[in-house]
Amino acid sequence: MATFKLDGKSVPFEPGDTIIRAADRQGLTIPHYCWHPGLSAPANCRMCLVEILPKPGQRPLSLDILELDTKSGEYKPVQKPKLQPACYMTPAEGMEVLGDSSPHVVRARHDVQEYLLLNHPVDCPICDQSGECTLQDYWLAYQKTPKRMHDEPVHKPKGVEFGPTIVYDGERCVMCTRCVRFMAEVAKDPVLDMRERGNLNEIVVSPGRQLEGHYTFMTEHVCPVGALTTKDFRFKARVWFLRTVASVCQGCATGCNAHLDYDPRYNKAYRYRPRDNEKVNKYWMCDEGMLTYKEAHDGRVLEASVGAVARTTTQALEEVTSLFAGVPAEAVGIVLSARYSLEDNWALLELGRVLIGTPNVYWSGRPDGYEDDILIHHDKNSNTRGVKELAPAARPFQALVDAVKARSITHVLALGGAAPGDASALGAAKVVTIAAHRGPFTELAAVVLPATSWAEHSGTYVNAKGMRQIAEKALEPLGSSKPAWKQVAEVATALGYEPSWIKLKHIRGQLIGSAAIDGHALAVAAGSASAE
Amino acid sequence: MEPLDIELEEGELELPAEPMHLNMGPSHPAMHGTVRMVLELSGETIARADVQVGYLHRGFEKMCERGTWAQVFPYVDRLNYVSPMLNNVGYALAVEKLCGIAVPDRCQWYRMALGELARISDHLTCDGAMAMELGAFTPFLWFIKAREMVWDILEEETGARLTHSFGRIGGMAEPPTPDFKKLCAAALPEILHVVEEGERLLLNNRIFLDRLENVGAISGPDAIALGWTGPCLRATGVSYDIRKVHPYLKYDEVDFDVPVGTKGDTLDRFLVRLGEIRQSKRIIEQAIARMADHGPVNCDDPRVVLPAKSEVYTTIEATIQHFKLIMEGAKVPAGEVYSYTEAGNGELGFYLVSDGSGTPYRVRIRPPCFQIVGGVAKLIEGRMLADIVPTFGSLNMIGGECDH
Repeated sequence: MATFKLDGKSVPFEPGDTIIRAADRQGLTIPHYCWHPGLSAPANCRMCLVEILPKPGQRPLSLDILELDTKSGEYKPVQKPKLQPACYMTPAEGMEVLGDSSPHVVRARHDVQEYLLLNHPVDCPICDQSGECTLQDYWLAYQKTPKRMHDEPVHKPKGVEFGPTIVYDGERCVMCTRCVRFMAEVAKDPVLDMRERGNLNEIVVSPGRQLEGHYTFMTEHVCPVGALTTKDFRFKARVWFLRTVASVCQGCATGCNAHLDYDPRYNKAYRYRPRDNEKVNKYWMCDEGMLTYKEAHDGRVLEASVGAVARTTTQALEEVTSLFAGVPAEAVGIVLSARYSLEDNWALLELGRVLIGTPNVYWSGRPDGYEDDILIHHDKNSNTRGVKELAPAARPFQALVDAVKARSITHVLALGGAAPGDASALGAAKVVTIAAHRGPFTELAAVVLPATSWAEHSGTYVNAKGMRQIAEKALEPLGSSKPAWKQVAEVATALGYEPSWIKLKHIRGQLIGSAAIDGHALAVAAGSASAE
Repeated sequence: MEPLDIELEEGELELPAEPMHLNMGPSHPAMHGTVRMVLELSGETIARADVQVGYLHRGFEKMCERGTWAQVFPYVDRLNYVSPMLNNVGYALAVEKLCGIAVPDRCQWYRMALGELARISDHLTCDGAMAMELGAFTPFLWFIKAREMVWDILEEETGARLTHSFGRIGGMAEPPTPDFKKLCAAALPEILHVVEEGERLLLNNRIFLDRLENVGAISGPDAIALGWTGPCLRATGVSYDIRKVHPYLKYDEVDFDVPVGTKGDTLDRFLVRLGEIRQSKRIIEQAIARMADHGPVNCDDPRVVLPAKSEVYTTIEATIQHFKLIMEGAKVPAGEVYSYTEAGNGELGFYLVSDGSGTPYRVRIRPPCFQIVGGVAKLIEGRMLADIVPTFGSLNMIGGECDH
């Protein structure tokens, strides 16, 4: 592969690469504001300027400038190299690029940073970006000098509502236009633009329009400073108190990779941020998905209940024992859930098929919804494909309703509260459900056992493309909830069986490879296994 | 009437001759801080002594690895809490060595003057407390009166009497007060006068001298083998003072002597400390004479030094600098360093490892006391029980320093 040199280090590049992209791939970051790997390069922030040495024998590309000679106090004509934006320049074989090692580049970065802070308000103490702000990082890395201009800074609109989700602060904006480009290039809705020139520049929404749609949160995420903030996260938390885990969005079958930020002091989730994955979501997530972090707390089942009356888990399990006493295996229906991890579903399937020995396996989940051709999938369940690989013979929800109506099934063991259709007919059966969230199943269940949400235990989810992805544990279990696979083990014990799984690794051991479970193979396409 | 023992054979009246075990400490009034001695006594003679440190254990080094580099200062205050300023300066020098920065001259002189004041306070406390434990309460009050004068200056400078937390990476928390030189010039002769009075109360006292002379003696090579440094080593005649041998700050530019003893006994240690008080006075006088009245105290490296508050409140650049230093901590370059200074009790070493982040990766302390306490048993074995008190007192064990 062709290579060029950056500060003496050899950097390979592919045709079509820019200097900054090739360097970024090697882990060599050239400072930048406006460049984003997922967007076009306008080269307007000038932070990524580099010096490119002339080819041997060629004259350098220089500028005539006047420089102050501090000894004589006079300006002298000198020449300095013409610096080039690394986000726009394509490298050539053997090209020598200077970044940190060029005094001209160091000076340019310092001056660009100084200009960007010229009219910046003293907002760090009240700014949500504080702690993850590029202006802060680059001041310490590339400027390090105090303010020289003590005039009144230019004032611009603050707290402008761009739409139902985003608030804009013109004074903090560095005019990188990442938000403008994101809306035009990725969301395909060019609703943002900039007006005025120079230090009167500001970002505006098209007249008569609002910043709305399914991808508005991303404008905040691509903003390198605190100019765009989401109403959802605004003034909610200081980022240096948050911890983060690698999670997977549960909003739809796309399975976008996300960082789940939570505060360990309050055991509370605060936001999602997209986690770059070229194969799934690239750098983006949709608004609906970004807000699903709230499901870690909203609509939760936190205590066990018997007939809608709160009970301890022990009492609820005793009720399960008496409900299922003497019930023939054929009358028991097992309902897997496309909203739960492979491990949870495996445990319930193991209980139903192997321990109880019932052939009646169904699956449930949320009904389909909106879809687009960017990220949003019509299937609103995170693990539909996983459930279908685990139990290819599982019948859909409607078959369960019919079986209960026909009285062939009198007892139901269900995972999750969600149902894709009208579940009222299930009231004729005795339903035991292990659920993290309230839903049709928990409304009519005889016994409800609390399960942890995806945020409180490590779980594997298979997205629509068949990629296995693990969402890590962030929060401690809320209320009396336990991971569903553990609750299934408790139910198995209550029914007089001995579960074969005690720890998560026992289940994961079964899931790796195509282990045969009760005669049917766990279909795992070897090539699609991806656990980031 | 016949005597009772007429039928007994010789020796039968002897008391059982098994050695007696005695626990001294960990909360004995003469056990400075908390240290325990398990003594095996034969009568009043110490046959064997087992000195156990570790009763004061705060996990000091681990605590230092939780916060930022600057947040270690309050912890080092609590090492040798009789002379916290010396620890502050020692730690600041270690981090500065790792960062490769030097503080301005004015700050170096200031650090020296404050450090020597702390040394005077340290020695006064040690000698005064030792005399008190031998029953001489008046000299103790005399020495503490002199220490109060030192502490008044330190309080004026730092706002705190004991735990100043006054050191900073790249400088000090505040510049010297306008009155600092005047306060020192006025207090030093007064302090020396009070010390001399206290001295006369003791050094003409036959009982006091008898309790000290030839008690707890150790030879120079033995002390070196135990890793002793500081006044306890110099009392044996070894003239090893880090300020002379490996000068830091401006110690190579000032005139002072290193008092040494001859026999390495308790009296020598007592006298070496009194001698060092006089030398500290000389150093302070030279330092304040040469310290500029104006000019920067902190270096101008924005990576480690906080900006002025007035700037923080009005300019974004200073706000960012403040934010970075407070919330993330000064980023100390990755690497390791061992830096050592002459503290009140001897070599105070800091071995620091940085992974380049704002939090120390490892803070390892080499406290002078730890090695000295390791030699206590050697000093007192074979001596009388009562000799423990002056011997142990003259070693100036500080619990906070021995936290291991």
